[in-house]
Amino acid sequence: MNTFQIIALTIYAFLAMIDALETDIGLSKPIQAGFFTGLIMGDVGLGLAVGATLQLMILGVGTYGGASIPDFMTGAIIGTAFGVISGKGLEFAIGLAVPIGLFLVQLDVLARFTNTYFQHKADKYAEDGDIKGIERMNILGALPWGLSRAVPVFIALIFGTEIVQGLLKVFPSWLMGGLKVAGGILPALGIAILLRYLPVKRYFAYMLVGFVGAAYLKIPMVGVALLGLALAYMVYQRNSDTPNTLAGGVGEDE
Amino acid sequence: MNNKVDDKKIDDKKITQKDLMKVNIRWLLGGQLGWNYERMQGLPYCYAIIPILKKLYPDKEDLKKALKLHLQFFNTEPDMAHLILGANIAIEEKEGLKAEEAITGIKTGLMGPFAGIGDTIYGVIAGTVFGSIAAYMALNGNSLGIWIWTIWLVFRWILRWWFMKLGYAQGTKLVTTLSGKMKNITEAASILGLTVIGALIPTVIRANVPYVFTSGKVEMKLQGIFDQIMPALIPVALVGLVYWVLGKKKMTSTKTILLLMVLAVLLFNFKILS
Repeated sequence: MNTFQIIALTIYAFLAMIDALETDIGLSKPIQAGFFTGLIMGDVGLGLAVGATLQLMILGVGTYGGASIPDFMTGAIIGTAFGVISGKGLEFAIGLAVPIGLFLVQLDVLARFTNTYFQHKADKYAEDGDIKGIERMNILGALPWGLSRAVPVFIALIFGTEIVQGLLKVFPSWLMGGLKVAGGILPALGIAILLRYLPVKRYFAYMLVGFVGAAYLKIPMVGVALLGLALAYMVYQRNSDTPNTLAGGVGEDE
Repeated sequence: MNNKVDDKKIDDKKITQKDLMKVNIRWLLGGQLGWNYERMQGLPYCYAIIPILKKLYPDKEDLKKALKLHLQFFNTEPDMAHLILGANIAIEEKEGLKAEEAITGIKTGLMGPFAGIGDTIYGVIAGTVFGSIAAYMALNGNSLGIWIWTIWLVFRWILRWWFMKLGYAQGTKLVTTLSGKMKNITEAASILGLTVIGALIPTVIRANVPYVFTSGKVEMKLQGIFDQIMPALIPVALVGLVYWVLGKKKMTSTKTILLLMVLAVLLFNFKILS
């Protein structure tokens, strides 16, 4: 692990968090973080595999209403980096990324909490009509956010080799095999969480269409998405023609 | 898309197109930086709308009052916030601080429903559709899906600016104009999402049963029997199981992850899954 790699990944973690909050070009998606880390560490294939597996666990899961979710972005960076260093590949990387992602939720909470300080300072600036002060407080909010991701990445990578060697001793083959199975079945969680958000009982038939398309007809994912788009468009047209009273959205059919 | 918003009309008023763009950029780049537990997007909202306040309230006392007003609690889906900012600016330009209650009303009244719509369409549905395409391709070693996703995400910036102008043009009418249409869009989007999820189950969950029956000379693979009943029988059963577990009280996604990992280690070591 060289200095350039450590610095590049630390900066990426900081920027990705800010991007997640603001511009959202996707740097914080586990799959992008995995890809970028793979690129920096010299194993794009592994990065993509780690990122994709983690992505599937939190598909469509967001920080709705200010909730904290597992930090699989940071998990993907650290997991991929150590997967490459150790040469142990996907299972080892996922085995690290998942607990790291779960643990780092605490730092997300800390960042959100720390920013309360800036809010209170801004209240004081408002009393004086100090516009510049308020603006500064909002911008300073970027620090707790960015650092909550950059610091763990930096620390993990600095002590990387030692940590990996230590972990390899405690990762016996029964655990490695188990993690391999876990990597295969964890996407079931991401899917199940989504189904809890969506009106699955009312629109079960459409899920069945997608299933038959992929499982029996072997239509690739993009093809199924287009099929879904066509079905969605038909329903939209029908609903627009006849003013309906149906309510859709999050939490329906719960 | 711009034809729905009369650009010329905007420029006739105190607030110019340029002012709106300033707010748009400020929210795009700083709309959640100061996010905090106490007032969530309160500080960022004030930050974003400052260019308007400076223009509308030359009197310092008015300005202080307006700053305090906009530092209050606010939280919604970031893309949808552009609509609310736009409507807020329209009312404030017309009525000023007299409309303090109307301003707070439109902010708090819209943030809840808009968060619901925005989270569903952008977070759940788009996240699922683009995320599954990207993940599906990535598992085959192809990064193309990531770039498709990025293009969509950048396209959202254009939508955000359009929302801003739409909110400004509609003002208070926004609620009635949009709510009906939004329901239909959310409805249709859910259908797209569910179709993709249906396809996701047999493609991304990997669970094989290595168990082989032997009775005399006849060998029978258990997985083969399952496949004859239905392809991806185990993935379907797993999703059903996890869906059920998530519906239990006190069950969080974190607990479920840990549960699945323990389950995976057990199933592997009892040679039930490989």
